[in-house]
Amino acid sequence: MWRRSPSFILDERRSSNSPPMADTTRGPFQNPDSISAYYQTRAAHHGVITSDWLAQAQAAVGGVTGEDQPLSSDNQLGTEKSFNVIEEFNNWRKQPDLAEAVAAIRALAAVIRASEASTMMELEIELKKASDTLKSWDKTSISLTAGCDLFIRYVTRTSALEYEDFNSAKSRLLERAEKFGEISCKARRIIAMLSQDFIFDGCTILVHGLSRVVLEILKTAAQNNKLFRVLCTEGRPDGTGVLLSSELSKLDIPVKLLLDSAVAYSMDEVDMVFFGADGVVESGGIINMMGTYQIALVAHSMNKPVYVAAESYKFARLYPLDQKDMAPALRPIEFGVKIPTKVEVERSARDYTPPQYLTLLFTDLGVLSPSVVSDELIQLYL
Amino acid sequence: MHPAVYKVGLQYLSGDISGGNARCIAMLQAFQEVVKDYSTPPEKTLNRDMAAKISSCVSFLRECRPLSVSMGNAIRFVKNRIAKLPMTLSESEAKAALKSDIERFINEKIIGADTVIVKHAVTKIRDGDVLLTYGSPTAVEMVLLHAHELGKKFRVLVVDSRPKLQGQLLLRRLIKRGINCAYTHINAISYIMHQVTKVFLGASSVFSNGTVYSRVGTACVAMVATAFRVPVLVCCEAYKFHERVILDYSICSSNELGDPNAISKVHGREDINYFDGLTNNANLKFLNLMYDATPSDYISMIITDYGMVPPTSVPVIVREYQKEHLL
Repeated sequence: MWRRSPSFILDERRSSNSPPMADTTRGPFQNPDSISAYYQTRAAHHGVITSDWLAQAQAAVGGVTGEDQPLSSDNQLGTEKSFNVIEEFNNWRKQPDLAEAVAAIRALAAVIRASEASTMMELEIELKKASDTLKSWDKTSISLTAGCDLFIRYVTRTSALEYEDFNSAKSRLLERAEKFGEISCKARRIIAMLSQDFIFDGCTILVHGLSRVVLEILKTAAQNNKLFRVLCTEGRPDGTGVLLSSELSKLDIPVKLLLDSAVAYSMDEVDMVFFGADGVVESGGIINMMGTYQIALVAHSMNKPVYVAAESYKFARLYPLDQKDMAPALRPIEFGVKIPTKVEVERSARDYTPPQYLTLLFTDLGVLSPSVVSDELIQLYL
Repeated sequence: MHPAVYKVGLQYLSGDISGGNARCIAMLQAFQEVVKDYSTPPEKTLNRDMAAKISSCVSFLRECRPLSVSMGNAIRFVKNRIAKLPMTLSESEAKAALKSDIERFINEKIIGADTVIVKHAVTKIRDGDVLLTYGSPTAVEMVLLHAHELGKKFRVLVVDSRPKLQGQLLLRRLIKRGINCAYTHINAISYIMHQVTKVFLGASSVFSNGTVYSRVGTACVAMVATAFRVPVLVCCEAYKFHERVILDYSICSSNELGDPNAISKVHGREDINYFDGLTNNANLKFLNLMYDATPSDYISMIITDYGMVPPTSVPVIVREYQKEHLL
C-alpha cells in the first residue's frame, strides 16, 4: 500500500466513495428545512424577521412534529402528552424575556399539572417521556436540554420529596417550577452585581451578540455611574448589535457600531470583551452566536480579557472537541442579492469557543475560571 | 505464600500478564483465593491477621514487578474493607463478605467502568475518522471494536515502538474483526499526524494535576498531536486516578526500568552487534523506561466512568470517588 504513495491514509480516503469532509458539509444541504428552532426564537425576539423565513419556520416545525408522532404512537397516551408539551413550550418560548430553560421547565410543570398519575414513579416516567420529546424536538437548543435535565434531576434526586404523600410532593414540584423563573431573573441580577468589579472607569468594552445578561451588566454599570464605552459588532444576519446599540444609547452609554469584520481593526482600543452564551460546555468553553470564536481568537492574540456572562442553568453535559463536533444548528441567511444555486452558503448559527480563549465566566455561582465548569457539572449530575 | 499469589507474581515477572487492568484483576482474583483458603490462627483476630497476610502478598508481588497505581488503589480498597469488617461477623461470614466486596470492585470499577467508557467514547467517533492509537490499550481496543460493531466507518492507525511492539497484537485483533488499519512506528509520527483526526490513548494512571502516566512514548504522541491540533482523548478508568501531583518526568522516583538488553540488542538480528564488548563499559548506560508522564496541556479530554471530563477536573473525581470507595 505504501508503495503507491507515502500518504497511504489519504489514498484510502480518496478512493472511498464518501469522503468524510463531504459528509459533514453535505448533510445539511440535503434537507434545507432542518432549521434550528432555538436560533429561530432568538431571531424572533430580535424582531428582525422576513416573511418567507416565517413560512420556512412553520414548515420546519410541522415537519419535525410530524416525524415525532410515529415515534411515540405505540402509546396513545404518550402521543397526547408529547403534543401537549411542545405546544406548551412554544407558548412560553414566545415571551421575549423568558429564558429558554425556564420555558422548558414551565412546560414540564404543565405536564405535572395535566398528569393523572397517582404515584411518584408514574409521574417520573411521564415527565421523563415529556422531557425526551422536548429534547428531541429541538436538539440544537442547549438551554432546552439543560433545563429539562436540571428539572428531571430535581424530581428524581431530591430527598425532600421522599417523606411526603404524593399530592404535596406534586405541589412542591410545581412550586419549584414556578420559582425557577424567578431564579433565572435573580441569576441575571447576581451576575450583573458580580461583574461590576471588572468594569473600571474609562474602559472600552467590546460586545458581540445580544445577550440579556450582558445587557443587564451594562445597564447596572451605567446605573452605578461608571464611565465606559461600548463597541457593538453588527452581528449579521440578525443585526443583534444594531438592537443592542439602540438599547444602550437609550441609557446614554457611548456606543459605537462595528462591522463584524472590523473586530481586529478595533481590538487595540478595547479593554475587555463580553459575550453571552447559548450554552457552557463541560470543557469550560462556550457555544454562542457565530463569530464569537474568531473574536475570542483576536482578543486572545492581543492579550485582552474575554469575559462570558451565563446563568448556571446553561451549563450542559456536552464536550465538543472541535467546531464540527456538535449537531449542526442551521438558519437561513439573507445576502440581499440572489445567490447562484451552485454557491454553497455556510448557514451554521453558532460556533464553539474553547476554554483556553476565555478568561473568566460570570455565573450566578460566582466568578469562575473555565475549568471550574466541569467541577460544578460533576457535582450537579453525579 | 499462597500458590495463587505465587503464580500471579511469576506471571508478572515473565510478562505473561501485562496491562493495568489485567494485572489488577489477576491480583484481586489471587486475593480472593487467599481469602477463601484463609483460617484465623488461634489467639489472633481476623482483621489484623488477614491485613498482615495481604501485606506480605503485596510485598511479594512488588518484588516481581513494581506495583502500578491502579493496583495500589485496589490494594487500598481491599485493606480498607478488611479493616472495616465488623467484629461480630463469624469467620466464614467475614470471608464471604470480603470475597463479594472484591468481586464487586472488579465488576463495577474495572469491567463496568470499561463499558461506560466505551459508551461515551463511541459518541466521539464519526464516519470518515482516522483514529490513531499508541501501543495496545485495552480500553481503546474495546472502543474501536464497539464503534466498528455499530457500523461506523473509520480507519485506525496503530503506532508502535520498540522493544515491546505491543501494537502488533492489537493490530492482529483489529484486522481479525475487519477494521481498516494501518501500522507504523513512532519514528514516523510527525509525518503521519496531519492525516489523523483523533488520537485515542490509554493510561496507566492519571494524577490530580491532570498529568497522564502511560506507556513510554505516549507523551511524544500527545505532543505531536497537539502541535498538529489533533484532539487527544485519553480513556482511563477512574480507579486508576491518584491524588499525587507529578510536575517533572520524575524518572527515578516512580518509573519502572525495563531490561537494558531489550534495547541494546535487536532480536533475530545477530549481525547488529555494535555494542559487543561495550555492555560493561562504565561510560555507557542503557535506559529502557517503561512509562512517561504527559502534561495535561496536551490532553483534550479524559474519558472515564464518570463521563467525559477535561484534565482539570481529575481532582474533583478523585475527591468524590475516593470518598465513595473508602466508605
